[in-house]
Parts: sequence; structure tokens; C-alpha cells
Amino acid sequence: MFIGTEKLTHTYMPGTPFATEALQDVSFNLQQGEFALIIGPSGSGKSTLIQHLNGLLRPTSGRVLFEGIAVGSNKHELLRLRRRIGLVFQIPEEQFFSESVFDEIAFAPRNLGLDESEVEKRVNESLEKVGMQAEKFRNRHPFRLSAGQKRLVAIAAVLSLQPEVLIFDEPTVGLDAISRKNLYNLLTALNQKDGLTVIISTHHLDQAAALADSVLVLNQGRLVMAGPAENIFNKRKQLYELGLTLPPVTEIMHELAEKGLPVKTAVYTLQEARGEIKNMKRRYKP
Amino acid sequence: MSRSIILGQYLPGESLIHRLNPRLKILTLVLILILLFTLETYSALAAFLAFALLLFALAKVPFRYLLRGLRPVLFIALFALVIYFFFTSGGIVLVRIGFITVESEGVIEGLFIVTRLAALVLFSLLVTLTTTPLSLTHGMGYFLKPLRYVGLPAEEVAMIMSVSLRFIPTLMEESQRLMRAQLARGADFETGSIFRKARSLVPLIVPLFVSAFRRADELALAMEARCYRIGAKRTRMHEDVILPRDWAVLAFVIMLLFVTYTFGF
Repeated sequence: MFIGTEKLTHTYMPGTPFATEALQDVSFNLQQGEFALIIGPSGSGKSTLIQHLNGLLRPTSGRVLFEGIAVGSNKHELLRLRRRIGLVFQIPEEQFFSESVFDEIAFAPRNLGLDESEVEKRVNESLEKVGMQAEKFRNRHPFRLSAGQKRLVAIAAVLSLQPEVLIFDEPTVGLDAISRKNLYNLLTALNQKDGLTVIISTHHLDQAAALADSVLVLNQGRLVMAGPAENIFNKRKQLYELGLTLPPVTEIMHELAEKGLPVKTAVYTLQEARGEIKNMKRRYKP
Repeated sequence: MSRSIILGQYLPGESLIHRLNPRLKILTLVLILILLFTLETYSALAAFLAFALLLFALAKVPFRYLLRGLRPVLFIALFALVIYFFFTSGGIVLVRIGFITVESEGVIEGLFIVTRLAALVLFSLLVTLTTTPLSLTHGMGYFLKPLRYVGLPAEEVAMIMSVSLRFIPTLMEESQRLMRAQLARGADFETGSIFRKARSLVPLIVPLFVSAFRRADELALAMEARCYRIGAKRTRMHEDVILPRDWAVLAFVIMLLFVTYTFGF
């Protein structure tokens, strides 16, 4: 087990009339290097779960485990943990406070107490990693970038911690189609090229489905399904009942299969679908 | 750090006290507060304290909320006690430490003042615990209305108050979210000198201001889109009607006032 939870329960404002159970008895574990999705309708506890993974929220009961050790056993440990597990919040560009892209990204490494030359190196690396030229952007004002660029800078601001696990809360909210696509390319590269464990919460499966190794499905604070992506995405009806729809391409493949055509349904991109339908046409003699 | 977001002090409930008209609630509170200030005997004060506790029971407010509400005045109460104990003379000497004496008059008066303070706080607490902040401001706005004739824009003041109240929980939630977001980026809000701590708040305050201004802008636009104009006469979606039971409560309190004055206990 690399990262996971054991019977994690979280109650907001316990002991008041406003108490709400955000998570109940959630247990799962993920392997190093995995690309995991946390899906579920809004209000299902995705954000709450995510914020437990690097100790920003503390369990009301149960445990969060990282490399077999309970998260938050002591304060010093928490700081080290937050360095290793990066968390990109929803609409992360709302956290901007600096007057240059450089300072914004340098915030995290400076907090780590690194010297300026190392900080500079990390800022440049992080910018390049998200596909922005350091020379061109480092002195720009972060508030005056486009929405897509802001999101990338916000991600670079977390990458500069050089984490091993990267967690995103709804990474594509408010982005246009092109920026969304770029973002998913970036996430793929971080996972496959740099070997980061990537965990994403979303309720839009469109682009995320193709990337996922494993999937956790939350509903009303409970973990209702968990397992390898194919197994989960096969349960189309159950997902539908939770208000979750598969990518349109996958829906079409399911419909074709229902009509009796011999196609596999675990297809999440247009490209795969094209190939699969071509194959089917070659094999299939009505 | 991020204990809980307290939305005003309001505790939702269905009791008669919760459902009383907010305007009348404010009016009766003021009457009772005046009454408390004029009381001069322990027996009368005790009667009113018992009355307050009865109302708390009626509103089904848990006891610990009552204690929590009294906590902020604890310091003032202690301070008043000390002043009265040591600086009021008269009656018999109870304690003598060197040249400082505690005399019985001081004790009696000190305790009286503190009990009165507790009663004042309890009655006010009852109103804030059983009335939503929004209806409280609407209620207060009503009493501000006559001030329009001396140039105070009463409607607008009430609007400003309710808008600010509306945004307190939003901004608190936002600041907690921002705090966690910056913690995830390795920020440290707790250690270091005061100067360092103040500086560590910049990553919190700047984004908070940015979003507050953006929200204010959006809200202004939304209000204008719905034809909000300064100085226009506005009606309300939830008309605040005074029911017979509200009049009955007011009558009861006025009677109480009258009885207390005539018989004076």
C-alpha cells in the first residue's frame, strides 16, 4: 500500500446542530505510480477526501496512511508530508498573491527554506514542465494571464515542491476545450514520464476516463465502488444512477454492443473507437 | 485552527420564541433591558433570572450555549467584582488584609451588579440565538426608519448590514480554504516572530481581498440587473407580519413592566 485510508470518517462542525457527515467509513488504497480518479456527484465528499490525503483536514475517526504510516502523527511529519504530496485546489489561481509569476511559483520552495539559486532552478523547471517558457513568463503579472495560463502557473506553483504524489481537485473547472486538452496532456506526462502518482477528483469523465488506472466512486460520503478503471466503467447503469455519465464515445460503444455488434466497450477516446470499429467491420459478417 | 464556522449565533429551532416577530422581539428585548436597569432588589432580579432561564428552556437552547454566551463577560464581571469588593465601603468588615478591607456593602452591591449583567446578557443572548441574523437586521432596519427624516438612508443602511452579514460565512469559509491551499504550498502561519507571522498572512489576505472585490462587483451587477436603485421604495418577499401572538407577548411584557414598577418588589 502506497497511499490510502482506513475507515476514514469526517464530520464537519461536530457537536453542533450544523454537524454534517462528509465522509463515512471510507477505505481504499492506491499503488505508487498509479493514475487514480475519484468521481462522484457534487457534494459527495470528493474535496473532503482529497484534503485528508496530505493532512490538511484531520479525520474525525479512522486513519489516512502514506507508505504505511498514519498521516498527521506529528506536526513536523506533516510538513514533510505536504512536500511529498502536492495538492492543487479547485480553481487554484484564486490563491495568487504575488506580483510576478516567478514569486508565485517560488513561494513553495522558499517555504521549504531552499537557497535562492535552488529556488530559481525549481521555478524554471516547474514552468518548463507545464509547457511555459520560463524566460517569457517569469516576470509577467500572474493576474494578467489567460485562464488556461493561470491554471498552469498554479500547477507549477505546486510542482515546485517536487512532490511524488500530485492530487488535483477538479482540475478542469472553468477551462475551455483546448486548455482542458492541454491540461490532460500535462497530467499524462507527469504520470507517465515523471512517474508521479496522480489522483484527480472530477465529475467530468470525458477526458479523464482514458487515463485512469483505478477509480474510486463516492456518493453521499460513502465509497460505493472502487477498483480498476475497466471494471468500474463497465457498470454503466450504476454510474448513471449516481448522475455520472461515461465519455460520449464510450456511451456509443455501449449502445453498439447492446445492438448486438461485437465491439469492446472499454473504449474512451475517439482514436480507440475508430480502430475498434474498423476491426469490428473486418471481423463482422452479418 | 479552523474550528468551525459560526453563522452569527443563530440556533435553528421551531419554538414559539423562534417564531416571534423579529421587530417585536427587539422591542420587547429593549423593554426588558430597561426594566433590568431599574430593578433594585435581589428578589426582583432573581425573578427575572428565573424568567430568562424559563425562556431558554422554552426555546430548547442547550445549556452549554448559555455558558458559552456568558463567557465573554466573565472578565468584565470579575473586574466589577474586584472594584466593588475593595472600593465600596459600608456595613461590616468581612476581610482585612493590611490596609485593604472588604466590607459587606461592597459584596452585596458587587454581586448585584454582576447578577444584573448576567441577566442582561442572557436576555440579549436569547434573542440572537433564536433569530436569524438576517431577520435581526431587517428588524433593526425598521426601527432605523424614522431616522430617514434626519437624513440617514435607513433602507440602505439595513441593506448594507444584511449584505455584510450574508458574506461573513462566505468569507470565513473562503479564508479557511485559502489557508489550507497555502498550507499545501508549505506556508507556515504559526511559528516565528510577530513580524514574521504578520508577513505570512499576505498570501491569505491578498487573495481574500481580490475575491471579496470580485464578489462585491458581481453582486452590485446582479442587484442592478434586478432593478435595485438607491432611494427607491422596496417591498419584501417575506412580509414580516405581526400576529396576534406577537401582540400578546408584547402586552405581557408591558404588563410585567407595569407590575414591577407599581409593586417594585
